[in-house]
Amino acid sequence: MKTLFFLLIPLFTFSQVELPTAPQPTQIQHYGNQGLGNPNGIQPPNPMNIFYGTEEKQRQQLQNQQIIQEVQQHQKQQLEAQNQIKKELRELNSQNDGINYNLPSHSNLIGVKYYEDVYNNMLVLDETNYSVKDINFNIENAYFENALEKAEFDKTIKQTAEFILAKMKELNYDLNSNSAKNYMIFQYFSETLQLKGFKTKHFPLTYDFEDYRGEKNWAKMFVTKLLRTGTGQCHSMPLLYLTIAEEINAKAFLSICPNHSYIKFQDEKGKWYNLELTNGMFTASSFILNSGFIKAEAMQNNIYMQNFSKKELLSQLYTDLAMGYIHKFGYDEFVEKTIKKALDLYPNNINANMVKANYDTVRFQYVMKQIGINPENKQELQGIRNFPQAIALLNETNEQYQKIDDLGFQQMPAEAYEKWLGSLQTTKNKQDNEKEKEALQRLTKVLNEAKRKMDLKNKQ
Amino acid sequence: MSKYKLLLLLFFLSTFCATAQNVEKQEELFEQSYALLNNMLVDENNYSFKKAVFSVENAYLGNKLDTLNCNRQIKLLNNLTISLIKERVLNYTERDLEKVSKWASVFQVMHDTIPINYNDKLYKYEPFGYDFNDVFGHNTRENLFVSKLLATRKGNCHSLPYLYKILCEELGVNANLALAPNHVYIKHKNIKEGWYNTELTSGIFPIDAWIMASGFVHIDAISNGVYMKALTNRESIALVMIDLADNYNVKFPNNDGTFILKCCQTAIKEYPNFATALILKAETRYKQIEKIEDKQKHDLEFKELEKEYAFIHKIGYRNMPEDMYLNWLVSLKTERNKYENKSHN
Repeated sequence: MKTLFFLLIPLFTFSQVELPTAPQPTQIQHYGNQGLGNPNGIQPPNPMNIFYGTEEKQRQQLQNQQIIQEVQQHQKQQLEAQNQIKKELRELNSQNDGINYNLPSHSNLIGVKYYEDVYNNMLVLDETNYSVKDINFNIENAYFENALEKAEFDKTIKQTAEFILAKMKELNYDLNSNSAKNYMIFQYFSETLQLKGFKTKHFPLTYDFEDYRGEKNWAKMFVTKLLRTGTGQCHSMPLLYLTIAEEINAKAFLSICPNHSYIKFQDEKGKWYNLELTNGMFTASSFILNSGFIKAEAMQNNIYMQNFSKKELLSQLYTDLAMGYIHKFGYDEFVEKTIKKALDLYPNNINANMVKANYDTVRFQYVMKQIGINPENKQELQGIRNFPQAIALLNETNEQYQKIDDLGFQQMPAEAYEKWLGSLQTTKNKQDNEKEKEALQRLTKVLNEAKRKMDLKNKQ
Repeated sequence: MSKYKLLLLLFFLSTFCATAQNVEKQEELFEQSYALLNNMLVDENNYSFKKAVFSVENAYLGNKLDTLNCNRQIKLLNNLTISLIKERVLNYTERDLEKVSKWASVFQVMHDTIPINYNDKLYKYEPFGYDFNDVFGHNTRENLFVSKLLATRKGNCHSLPYLYKILCEELGVNANLALAPNHVYIKHKNIKEGWYNTELTSGIFPIDAWIMASGFVHIDAISNGVYMKALTNRESIALVMIDLADNYNVKFPNNDGTFILKCCQTAIKEYPNFATALILKAETRYKQIEKIEDKQKHDLEFKELEKEYAFIHKIGYRNMPEDMYLNWLVSLKTERNKYENKSHN
């Protein structure tokens, strides 16, 4: 990733080169802004320059970029063409029997434009290298019709990162250690912290029990809400964690389990840790499995407890985009195309699959209403025999539900979820928490010691 | 005198020949059984779990298994399940009622006491029970056998699910075996609940957390299908093939490993993450390598073997001590409320 950045620098510095109009990956500015301990600002001389000269390199880079963009553009066009054909086919059928087989579009509403913009932006970015911070902000901002201030958000995140790095220095943590960085972010979430010589205190982020699923107000799920109020839930907290991790170059992963998401990271020895941010604890995997709603098939299909790759995370972000849209406007073809993209990136994404199932259901119900059939009534449902297009929709819906079942999904009732999350406070889980914490502290100490010795050696 | 000596010599020679012939004959039986199992994999039309299991047991028993009697008993149980299906109404309304009803009848035969009216006389059918003695077949392999279960009506986590699967197949429905550390159980999938577990050692339908949260199963082992995977019929044959190899090891403790490796390779080909087969293969290789005298060759092959052990670790296998196993098995009864699938009845 770093080398990519170095190679791309010439593109920005030579202004006479005409850049293609398609947006450049925005995350690139991102690596330049850490003044603390990161030598990213210094560009090492490239030995290959002697052979090719710098301009040849630039030309090649530019060419590659153009090719990538062309391919992406082409894929996008293809996708749109496919959807268009599908849609037209349905419209053609509609003309025949006077039934609309597509959900009415909301595209005439004012706010939709912002969602379209974010969607188009997401289509062209590099799926394996993008900024979670920026995309997630854009998704939240679309919900508020771009009323949020990006600069202010960036400032807050930057300050948070600076605070965390300063605290690490104060505690003599190794600034290059992934586990030390993660441990510090975790402490930022779960403990009261204060820098030496400063009066202000940072208080832990807490769980917001009220409407934790964002059913009444979807904005409850947002990172911006968490930053504003200091309270969040299992959606916003892990996302803020990833945002901060990205800012200080720490490696951490999103992971999901029934109705829930949390953070995983790996220490220098290769051991994985689960971080439960909603109550600031390290959890054992058995705790998560003990919820009782994870089937073996779910594990075999990798739908739960995996550390999401960048691509899988992007799929999750597309799902978030769709969810925001649904809460604001309802279901229409925007949801369909967004979820299709999410499933292209990560076919087993359980959340995206559920949104797809809901979308299919709503669309089928809409068609049934026009025909005048109550789909709950088995006898009435026989009447769809005369509507081949409706049968196709019903089959699609049933197949989607079948897919979710095959993935090993099992519905977890809200009470069971709350009980399970609450059970973290039992003695056994508290002990597990302490054990994991100690292991990490020991490791941090060992690493610090090693670093001190190295420094000493370098001085000599 | 010399005549006596000669006679004596002849006598010894003949007995020696006889035992050698016996050994050869039994080895032949194992080979035949292997061929039968392999044939089921080559051509699925030949598949029959019942035949596979009995051929393995027969090989171990030196062709002394009373197959006729076993088949008669199975037929008897089959008739019982058929009459149960006819006489009883299940509280289940989905489209796959027929299948579910067959599974339920087999479960009843395995686990419930059933009153039987025969010639106006009421008899009580006694179900199969769990035998806590020698659950791993250390004393004698026969304790793991379905034929032993049929004779004594007591079995363990090896023979009980095997018989269950056989009875299901007699009714023309499928039953998936599934593995947990040191353990075999049954998985079914119906429309109402999706996948669910049937635990024959205690006759309970436990949820997956019972095995997952036992602390003996690494998550990777679940993701990789080492455990808790609904095994296909082909994979079940792989299981039986390893039974055959284990039996062979008991009968011929000083064998050179050729037969064992043959079984392992076929089983692993069918079921690449089958931990028991992978371990048996590695252990057999270890014994073979120890005997290699050329140091260079020895070290080289040993390096290769280490890779195999690393693979076994990587797919998530961890050793579960045997006494822990029994405690865990009992936990299903003591913590029934926590692990029972309440939606299933």
